[in-house]
Amino acid sequence: MPPGTVRSLTRRDTVLFSLCVALSVVLLFTPEAGRSVAAAARSTVLKPLLWLQAWAEASRTSRARFDKLRAERDSAAYAAQFVPSLRAENLRLRSLLGLSRRLPVAYVPAEVLHQSLPTDGRTLLVSAGSARGVRPFDPVVGPEGLLGVVRAVEQDWSVIMTWAHPEFRASAYAEPGSVFGVVAPALQVEGADHLLQLRGVAVRDTIAPGTRVVTSGLGGVYPPGLPIGTVIGPAAEETGWERVYLVRPASSPELATHVLILRAPGPRDLAPAFVPEPSPPPADSVP
Amino acid sequence: MMRTDRTRLVAVLGFLVVLHFALRPRLGWGQVAPDFLVLALLLYAIRSRPGRAAVAGFAAGFLLDALVPARFGAAALAHTVVGYLAAWGRAVFFPDNLFVNGAVIAVGVWLRNAIVLLASGGSAGAMGMQLFVWSPLQALTTAAAGALVLLVFRDWLDIRLEA
Repeated sequence: MPPGTVRSLTRRDTVLFSLCVALSVVLLFTPEAGRSVAAAARSTVLKPLLWLQAWAEASRTSRARFDKLRAERDSAAYAAQFVPSLRAENLRLRSLLGLSRRLPVAYVPAEVLHQSLPTDGRTLLVSAGSARGVRPFDPVVGPEGLLGVVRAVEQDWSVIMTWAHPEFRASAYAEPGSVFGVVAPALQVEGADHLLQLRGVAVRDTIAPGTRVVTSGLGGVYPPGLPIGTVIGPAAEETGWERVYLVRPASSPELATHVLILRAPGPRDLAPAFVPEPSPPPADSVP
Repeated sequence: MMRTDRTRLVAVLGFLVVLHFALRPRLGWGQVAPDFLVLALLLYAIRSRPGRAAVAGFAAGFLLDALVPARFGAAALAHTVVGYLAAWGRAVFFPDNLFVNGAVIAVGVWLRNAIVLLASGGSAGAMGMQLFVWSPLQALTTAAAGALVLLVFRDWLDIRLEA
């Protein structure tokens, strides 16, 4: 047994533990106190580690790697097409490339740096910051639709509050645009998937399952037409003078590897950009 | 702890930190991939006094809070408690045994996730999925990674691994 491990607890240990717990509780209830220190940590001690992670992410899915794989379209690459995870990621990257061509507004592409905490997905750290023109409250989208909004920006990194965050809200309507409400995270999950709620729908209005929900543009943060999800049905907690509908989100923060940060999109309707392109030919038809 | 031992421990912990940021993103499936940071914390904690382990846990948790600020302070609290309990448990009862060390790592990861989720709030359904599906899987993969690290670096970490 290594020396120094079999020792009784001392008052010093207890004091240090209590101090750390007290500091953590202070941070929990006054998060503003720690945010500036956290931003400083991201810019200093964590910076080389985040560069390392960004490099690891980039080397996994970068353009250079994609080109190399395409150039080496031999039997190994052909076989890799059939690995489900690679195929899914490939599909997401293709969709994002297609979306970036269709978007009529300026955007900044960024890689998502996933972390190991179970709350990763409520916020996401991405590899683009003020140096590339990202600003707080810029909307963030994936190929399927809205992911969230930029909450904090540093020179090389940004923190995104996704739709899974308890404080997320977005004004939305059910297509074709006659029923409005506010989208927020739901209390329910379906399997492993988080759900959203469309709240504040007038009692006189009903929405059929399968109806798409998109941002309305009200409030000025999100441009109109960003897909949020699809209505599943009425929520169990529907009470009072409003209807609440469960919405299956269009995009998943946990699965996002690359995102587009829209720069000052304004009130322009972005719905046409999210109409999916025709599917590429199946892999087995590639010569 | 002798100076050489300390240098070796720091080298192993540094290696785990590098693995966390360089290897973990390549593994994919982030909710299940091993957490090398909490593994480093636990390896440090089981060789340290509880007070120092709590401080190390607070520092590691604070850095993770900076990376995932969904509920600032939750990770700091969770890592403080896990670091302290691992060091306390090591000092009081558990032996140098590969299975026991692996179990401590697994319980540490699950407990860390449970405290983070409870402190962060959220829906019961989502919390249940995290606590009873994803967290146990992450605990198992981290314990397996921990067992591998202990086997590879057992001389450096000065751990006698009984059968």
